[in-house]
Amino acid sequence: MKYPFPVGKSDFIQGDEAIARAAILAGCRFYAGYPITPASEIFEAMALYMPLVDGVSIQMEDELASIAAVIGASWVGTKAMTATSGPGFSLMMENLGYAIMTETPIVVVDVQRSGPSTGQPTLAAQGDVMQAIWGTHGDHSLIVLTPATVQEAFDMTIRAFNLAEKYRTPVILLTDAEVGHMREKVDIPNPEDVELVYRKLPANEEEAKYPFGDIHGDLIPPMPIFGKGYRTYVTGLTHDEKGRPKTVDAEIHRKLIERIVNKIEKNKKDIIEYETFDLDDAEVAIISYGIVARSAIRAVKMLRSEGIKAGLLKLNVVWPFDFEMIEKIAEQVNAIYVPEMNLGQVYHLVKEGANGKARVELIPKIGGEVHTPQEIVKAVKRCEKCI
Amino acid sequence: MQIRLAGIGGQGVVLAGVILGEAAAIEGLNVVQTQDYSSASRGGHSIADVVISKEPIYDLIVTKADVLVALAQLGYDTTKDSLRKDGLLIIDTDLVKPDREFIGAPFTRIAEETTGLALTVNMVALGYLVAKTGVVKKESVEEAIRRRVPKGTEDINLKAFRVGYEEGSK
Repeated sequence: MKYPFPVGKSDFIQGDEAIARAAILAGCRFYAGYPITPASEIFEAMALYMPLVDGVSIQMEDELASIAAVIGASWVGTKAMTATSGPGFSLMMENLGYAIMTETPIVVVDVQRSGPSTGQPTLAAQGDVMQAIWGTHGDHSLIVLTPATVQEAFDMTIRAFNLAEKYRTPVILLTDAEVGHMREKVDIPNPEDVELVYRKLPANEEEAKYPFGDIHGDLIPPMPIFGKGYRTYVTGLTHDEKGRPKTVDAEIHRKLIERIVNKIEKNKKDIIEYETFDLDDAEVAIISYGIVARSAIRAVKMLRSEGIKAGLLKLNVVWPFDFEMIEKIAEQVNAIYVPEMNLGQVYHLVKEGANGKARVELIPKIGGEVHTPQEIVKAVKRCEKCI
Repeated sequence: MQIRLAGIGGQGVVLAGVILGEAAAIEGLNVVQTQDYSSASRGGHSIADVVISKEPIYDLIVTKADVLVALAQLGYDTTKDSLRKDGLLIIDTDLVKPDREFIGAPFTRIAEETTGLALTVNMVALGYLVAKTGVVKKESVEEAIRRRVPKGTEDINLKAFRVGYEEGSK
């Protein structure tokens, strides 16, 4: 297999470009999208590369159709992705729920810009966190990854596909205009060194009868592929283990939705990834994710040099969420600070996790600029003084 | 090292930043390149930031630039406060009237005289910057230029870069 970009060496590329290349290395062969700043470069790269790897890149009439096409592609066995930004992400919410309900492995990239509505198209924000987790209606779960560097955007795109396939679920790669547009050195692995996961397929005709049944006891049903000889019914209505609509049976609904939630929740330890910096002996914790985590690392170093024992928890996954880990940190430290480029979203998750064991303070910033390390330091020092 | 290039849209400021960043990446250094431009494609301010370091880079926003290259008055006015007190200011001496110590040359005029194209000013200034700071090797930049400029314009861009480099080596 020949790749339309250099592999097995490093390159100096934008985050958006890194996402496109990683998707192709992860086995993605279908992309459907609608152009939008600051995600358009992903589409541009896919339009260029897909025909060269026998894949398809197609411009749809809007974002509703884009995610619908991606779901369809996944049901014929193709790894598929779409990418957008806030306004388009809002339009995708309905079919995101359809992907969750039909347990369709897809990857949706949201390169966040300032909202609401069309907002500040060229500027970064982290305002879509709660939307990524809870934007579609009804009880559900899914997976949300948050890269902080171009290398992480690359690595987490591959991981997004693997998690989607492993857990038969949509995965959101939640990045932002800053990571999407900045250029950094990225190590692009040799394709044979990339670990790839493929969805579980029915072993035989008997298994294929239960495309929504927990027949292996791992909460993840094997997924029959259209065109491979099985008849399968796929619906957004509440359905039984065979996929047949059963819309008034409370027990069937409860079983289905609890399994969809539990296949993520019970595998939290496998899904959640985080990094810590100087957290072991910290008296003050900063909890951060995405682009802001980089400023937070510098802020921790600056606070330490001024005698404040600070430490950082950098979240690489914001959903599922490890509330228990936050409580442990809260038992250790006096205060937790949550800098984010919004008016408070992960802050609320942290506060719930902290469970009153430590003070939790938000360091909000909106308008398009990433927090500087100095701003985080100043906010921490101001609060630490006022106690 | 934090380097900030500032000018107006159309001067190729962002491309110069990308090429400088690519040169650093070729040398195996850590590098982050970001840009800030107004939505106007011509005439608005245009800024490219390049942070180069042997260590991992956490500071993405240039708050205290070590070097500021200003190719237009608007670019200078927008960014002059971000240059640290003892930082190095490099300007197009025909187009920028600074209010502090500086070095520089009439980059746009040199570009016109050398290549016949004012829009190679970005390469002239880049050559001057690399000669004065030694932040990356001349050869790395030349390789990055070959990779990044539109096909068929490699020679003219290399020529402009080398003239700027000579000017900076004087």
